[in-house]
Amino acid sequence: MSAATPRGMSPRMRLVLFALAVLAVLPGVVHVAGHMPQFGAHPLPYGDAINAAAPPERHVTNMTSAVNFDYRGFDTLGEEFMLLCAVTGVTVLLRGGRGEGTAGRPGRTGHRPVLPRTDAVVLTARAGAGVLLLFGFYVALHAMTTPGGGFQGGVILASGMLLVFLGDGYAAWRRVVRSEAMDACEGLGATLFALCGFAGVLLGLPFGQNILPLGTIGDLFAGGLMLVENAGVTMAVGGGFLVVFIEFLEETRVVPGADER
Amino acid sequence: MTGWLDVLPWAVAAWLLGIGLYGVVTSRNVVHLIGCLSVVQGATYVLLLSVGFRTGGIAPVFYAKPPSTSAVDPVTHAMVLTDVVVGATVTALLLALVLQLHKRRGTLDPEELRPMRPK
Amino acid sequence: MTAALLPPWPVAGPLAIAGLLLAGGRLLPRRGPDVIALLTTLGVAAACILLAIGAADGPIVYWFGGWTPRDGQAIGISFRVDLAGASVASFIAGLFTITLAFAWGYFDEVHAHFHVLMLLFMASMVGFCLTGDVFNMFVWFEVMSVAAFSLTGYELKASPLSGAVNFTVMNTIGSYLFLGGIGLAYALAGSLDMASIGRVLANAPASPIADAAFVLMATGLLVKAAQVPFHFWLPDAHAVAPSPVSVIFSGVMVALGIFGLTRLSFAMFTGVPAVMAVTHTLLLGLGVASVVVGGAMALLQRHLKRMLAFSTVSHTGMLLVGLALGDRAGIAGLLTYLAGHGLVKAALFMVAGILLALCGGVDEIELRGKGRQIWPAGVAMAVGGLLLAGAPIGLMDDGLSSLAEAAKAAGNVWLLPVFAFGAGSTGGAVLRATGRIFAGLGPVAGIEEQSPTEQEQEKADRSFPFMLVCAVVPLLAVLATSHRVDGLAERAAVQLGAVAHKGAPVSSLLAWSGVAFALLLAGTGLWHPALPRPVLKTAKFLVRPLAASLSYVHSGAVCDYVAWLVVGLALFTAAFALV
Repeated sequence: MSAATPRGMSPRMRLVLFALAVLAVLPGVVHVAGHMPQFGAHPLPYGDAINAAAPPERHVTNMTSAVNFDYRGFDTLGEEFMLLCAVTGVTVLLRGGRGEGTAGRPGRTGHRPVLPRTDAVVLTARAGAGVLLLFGFYVALHAMTTPGGGFQGGVILASGMLLVFLGDGYAAWRRVVRSEAMDACEGLGATLFALCGFAGVLLGLPFGQNILPLGTIGDLFAGGLMLVENAGVTMAVGGGFLVVFIEFLEETRVVPGADER
Repeated sequence: MTGWLDVLPWAVAAWLLGIGLYGVVTSRNVVHLIGCLSVVQGATYVLLLSVGFRTGGIAPVFYAKPPSTSAVDPVTHAMVLTDVVVGATVTALLLALVLQLHKRRGTLDPEELRPMRPK
Repeated sequence: MTAALLPPWPVAGPLAIAGLLLAGGRLLPRRGPDVIALLTTLGVAAACILLAIGAADGPIVYWFGGWTPRDGQAIGISFRVDLAGASVASFIAGLFTITLAFAWGYFDEVHAHFHVLMLLFMASMVGFCLTGDVFNMFVWFEVMSVAAFSLTGYELKASPLSGAVNFTVMNTIGSYLFLGGIGLAYALAGSLDMASIGRVLANAPASPIADAAFVLMATGLLVKAAQVPFHFWLPDAHAVAPSPVSVIFSGVMVALGIFGLTRLSFAMFTGVPAVMAVTHTLLLGLGVASVVVGGAMALLQRHLKRMLAFSTVSHTGMLLVGLALGDRAGIAGLLTYLAGHGLVKAALFMVAGILLALCGGVDEIELRGKGRQIWPAGVAMAVGGLLLAGAPIGLMDDGLSSLAEAAKAAGNVWLLPVFAFGAGSTGGAVLRATGRIFAGLGPVAGIEEQSPTEQEQEKADRSFPFMLVCAVVPLLAVLATSHRVDGLAERAAVQLGAVAHKGAPVSSLLAWSGVAFALLLAGTGLWHPALPRPVLKTAKFLVRPLAASLSYVHSGAVCDYVAWLVVGLALFTAAFALV
């Protein structure tokens, strides 16, 4: 590192520049806010078209899922792979510097004492993990009928697994949640979504066309291809977030004798 | 001219954007800066959801009510869902970067974390 | 397979393959991911070329999920594949192919993760070019950004990580602004399909919402395109990213910001007079500022990749000027120059990669004379520098001539010396570096000695001839496609909707003045002690304060950058108020 004085604006000058710029933008913001369409009372043609078309045509009652997995399913494909991209990035950034061993001991901050887990914590965590996993599956399964879906369910599932770490310790956490398995889960979930899109193409239909039988409206397994896509999203999101949790938790470990790059 | 309640959602969105950017500009800790980015994102949530709102409309889920009930716009909800995923991914990536950076530079002050130094 | 069925393949294909690579990367043999990725990029290139051929007579419209519009309301997502989009997509796939070849075996440590990121990067860029839905465009924009953020910090040292943080923070704020703009456009138009929004905005009375939507979306895209005052993140990020990744960043990612703005402008905002007026004035000014600032800063650098990054700012500024001029010659010039500059910049970054691998550094002053053994790379670098300066052969010259023609037709003849300055300064900086590194000239360093630099090295596991061939191929492509792409660019501009203006052809004075200026700057940089003392003193008196203030502003602190972003928003607000 150089000992030269840091160049650039002082914090005070920066704040003055920012304040002047905000003052210049403010009249524009006020003008636009005054001319926005009437809040709560302006026409919503796109939304109304979907609300009218989706229940009879796709036999689902959750309109947001219908938009996410069918009408604008291609956006969700991109979003899915954005998550995959970010998780891969986190893996490259954290695992790349550390290697893939799991031999570390818990790192310590300062000289805080490490208290052993009490039985109450272990019991609550184990019970809570079970409940959360069940709840996560419930939310993911009910994508087509009530509020919920693969994204929400996947995150709840991943967070539920964190209770294993809280209750049973790091060794148990690493035994249950393996990084190779989670990588595979994530990759396969995302690929499943992409293949669902291609299923239509093989039959000469546009990409992402819903080709499976649609079932009855209000039923848990209605929606056709949307269910498979939802399953893919659940796998990918759950696996992806677990990979992120693994990588970040590994950062709290100290490997004896390791060099930093 | 619209009443003040009608301007409130847009004003809140603009305020969140402004205060989030203020936080970023005056930040002395990179983790705080990442939090301020989430505040800026909150502005987009408020804007999108307010654009799609309909007074008296139910949530766009017709499980308990018949499909002809007045509902809000599900498209903006789907956009916000994508926005949430964007925010989560970028936050995770930034935190990973900051974690590695802290190990190498030993500080979290953005002033000290400039990429290159003159010789 | 007819072109009408082809649109999803170049985007969804690489996505599926990336997912499979991530899931099964461990099971593949050592070079498996490299081979798979290379074959994928070749496949995407072939698909995009077929799409371009199919789109020659008119855009191919493809509705995903079979959701064609009902009663004029678009309810699904469309791909609107026109000649411009398909051609740029083919260019992207071709650039990725050569980059993956250059990076063969470079990224070994984390199984197939690098290849997964590169395939996602490419797929999202292709999707960005082909889509006809504005929210879909935002999704691909984000995927592109996240892939770029991950790849920048790959070398896990302090500078790459810090550069990646600056990059991420600035581009994320830009993305959120872009999304805000989409929200406003949706509020006004009730649709996310760009063609529908364009129709609604053209028929609606003038509304500040449309103006605000443009401001927010343009700011988001101009952050990506690294234009003044949103450009500060680019030198930080490019200078520290691994060379194969920098090839893509400068080769095409930055230019896609301008391409996206072009797409939005022609699809959505042609019928909004206030927006068009601001495009012709403010965007022209920002483009000119980028050309000048980028060129000046390039001369002040000693770190080769940082110098090339500023050169990208400058040349992308010329693309923005082409958009601001907006007529058929301007847009055709934009597309041609995008390809030409991308190829030349790719070659130059690969030469920088060669220097990093074989000479252990990329600092012009420290490497003085060390390039003598690898002098063929110096020849490639010199050719690249001359092409940047505007030498009258090759694709870049074709583009520049079209841009100059558009400038003259619009009555903005003063733009020509600006072009010459930008091209000449960036070319001159590269030529000075070539002379110093490969010929050992220039013993006394000039003002560039005070600029930031870093000690770096990259793995030397590929042979020099192989890397040299990778660097020479883009240069050959630039020279070989000269005068053959003009017709294609013209037809693409017509399809977008650009109107022709009466233009007189431009003499080659512009090209030669750029080259002369470059040689003058390079010579001055290398041999300035030999100048007479009064000349030297006057030059120092004029240049020192400018250089000091430019360096002061390009501070490396992300908080400064965000303040300048808000200044940019203020400029837009003022422009709309005055127009």
